[in-house]
Amino acid sequence: MSGRFTTTRSLLLAVPAMLPVVVVLLGSLTATLLQSVGLMPFIGPASFTLEYWTGNATELARTTAVSLYIAGASTLLACIVGFIAASYILMTERAGRLVAAIGAATIPIPHLIGAGAVGLLLADSGFLSRLLGLSDGGFPALVGGPYSLAVIFEYAWKESAFVALVIVGSLARSAGGLCETAATLGATPRQRITHVVFPLALPALAVSAVIVFVYTLGSYEVPWLLGAISPEVLPVRGVRLFGSIDLASRPEAMVTALLSILLGAVAILMGLVLLRRIRSLR
Amino acid sequence: MGTFAALLLAGCSGPTPAEPSETFASFEDVQTEADGQTVDLWMYGGDQQANSYADEVLIPAAAEQGVELRRVPVADTADAVNRVLTEIQAGRDDGTVDLVWVNGANFGTGQQADAWHCEWTDLLPNMKYTDPADPLITDDFGVPVNGCEAPWHKAQFTYAYNSDAIFDPPTSLDGIVEWAEAHPGRFTYPAPPDFTGSVFLREVMLSMADGAEQVPQTFSAEAFEQFAPAAIQRLEELERSLWREGSTYPRDEQALNQLFANGDVDMTMTYGPARLTDLVESGALPEATKVLTLDEGTVGNASFLAIPANAADTAGAMVVANLALSPEQQAAKADPKVWGQFTVLEMDKLSPQQRELFESLPSSDVVPPYEVMSRNAHAELSAEWVTALDDAWRERVAGTP
Repeated sequence: MSGRFTTTRSLLLAVPAMLPVVVVLLGSLTATLLQSVGLMPFIGPASFTLEYWTGNATELARTTAVSLYIAGASTLLACIVGFIAASYILMTERAGRLVAAIGAATIPIPHLIGAGAVGLLLADSGFLSRLLGLSDGGFPALVGGPYSLAVIFEYAWKESAFVALVIVGSLARSAGGLCETAATLGATPRQRITHVVFPLALPALAVSAVIVFVYTLGSYEVPWLLGAISPEVLPVRGVRLFGSIDLASRPEAMVTALLSILLGAVAILMGLVLLRRIRSLR
Repeated sequence: MGTFAALLLAGCSGPTPAEPSETFASFEDVQTEADGQTVDLWMYGGDQQANSYADEVLIPAAAEQGVELRRVPVADTADAVNRVLTEIQAGRDDGTVDLVWVNGANFGTGQQADAWHCEWTDLLPNMKYTDPADPLITDDFGVPVNGCEAPWHKAQFTYAYNSDAIFDPPTSLDGIVEWAEAHPGRFTYPAPPDFTGSVFLREVMLSMADGAEQVPQTFSAEAFEQFAPAAIQRLEELERSLWREGSTYPRDEQALNQLFANGDVDMTMTYGPARLTDLVESGALPEATKVLTLDEGTVGNASFLAIPANAADTAGAMVVANLALSPEQQAAKADPKVWGQFTVLEMDKLSPQQRELFESLPSSDVVPPYEVMSRNAHAELSAEWVTALDDAWRERVAGTP
């Protein structure tokens, strides 16, 4: 009984903060949806149509595939690098502090600045190609290339620091003692990571993976600066159509935006299911 | 929840164009009304010289006329137009945008939705210095101006090359394309819908059609079928010879300039040749940058100042538009050290003292005078051509690896 009371009370306390968010979100989502089915035109009469959803299906599918590929690859890399960095921070004293400091310093850099820096580093006549003496050709097409490697690199670098921070934050208290116990029982460092740190870190890893995935799926500036012109990712396509000089493109922009919201929502739901599974395994 | 309901209700009907704001009998009435108003001028903020001209020359002059002018920088003119459209859609008649620096394509977008205040430029006393029959001023990208925007300056599409790399530059667009094929990897153009890249597409189409006069300015499906395929095919053939074999393109003019400055390509192009002088002087572009003039001429246009139909300070905006047309302001703006923009005024309509303002301007080492640049110039095609060609390019050229 008292449990339910506190839940209700905490919900009530959150209402003032939630209300504006919900109103703005619902309002804008409704307007977006109406525009995407032709019920809110800038010119001409309103009439319901699904042509904006179906008319460009192949291009939408391609755009979606590229978005999922970039978000998936970035998330995977960020999780691997982030987990290794977190293990290192948790298990070594002094060197771990250095890694933690470097990771923490990465967090406040905005993605736009990060993307600009990565561009300067990896462009055809960028810093790296000059360092290697390849600025006259021979340097791989990382920026604007067919596999969006520079985009994935930027996300993996920035988000791995975030993943590491979340894992360290959630394990800082428990991991140390358990690792020491395992060590006194004769576990090698590798066994400590695979049998102690990894199982403990799994929930935090899953949560941060979902956050990173959804963020990279909806982020605009990095693929805009470092990605190829074609095929584009969903946010870049949406902004391009939204800024088109032809107002008839507006509904298509709304379709693109809604599609990326839908994908994000599906990813979050799948993440929650996965998290339940992990928790029930324990 | 009230706003939410209002949104829903608004969503069920198309937006009603804002009521045209008050009309004025004379410019004196405008000035009386404008006194003490604050005008928000929304303009592209990526051009340092434009920003400093507005801040250091235009704003103080507006203050002398009793109008407080504020510059609102935007990343893209479309953002300002979108803001106006959204406010009109939401039924606001006290719009936050009073004046926009527009080019033809964005002007056309606003015209599609009746978003501009119209038939006001006849009131401006300084319009008498312009030529009412000048096609660059009567039509904007094939859209009749109808007094919905006041001219500000003229621009000429310009190619520039690195004279350290090219000793014998081509003299026609066809020649440029052939040069690019003979020098693989040394040429590219920005990807449409970037403004500069789209212009290049249309220039290729006009060149393939054997001259600008062959292609009708107004868009029709028949004309598109007749002229576009040849241009798209030419660009597909060219793709192999572009920078990175055309697997990707620079995203905008700045990105192309970056490639040009790094020596990745030997040519660049711009609709704002006025800026070249400053870019070369500041070291952003190589010292050997030279302008390439074409025998058949290039496309020219004028850019304008437009007032949204729902502007809160219409009168003040008119005063600023008139001020921007004054010989003093136009001459100050034409100085390459200030902004270097070509004037929209006719020299033979000015008094000797006013003409002297223009004649005493320093010339640029990089950019030839407007008379040379605009030789054989042709006007822009209508805005429907822009989107139709951009889409065809995206489908056929960019989309195929």
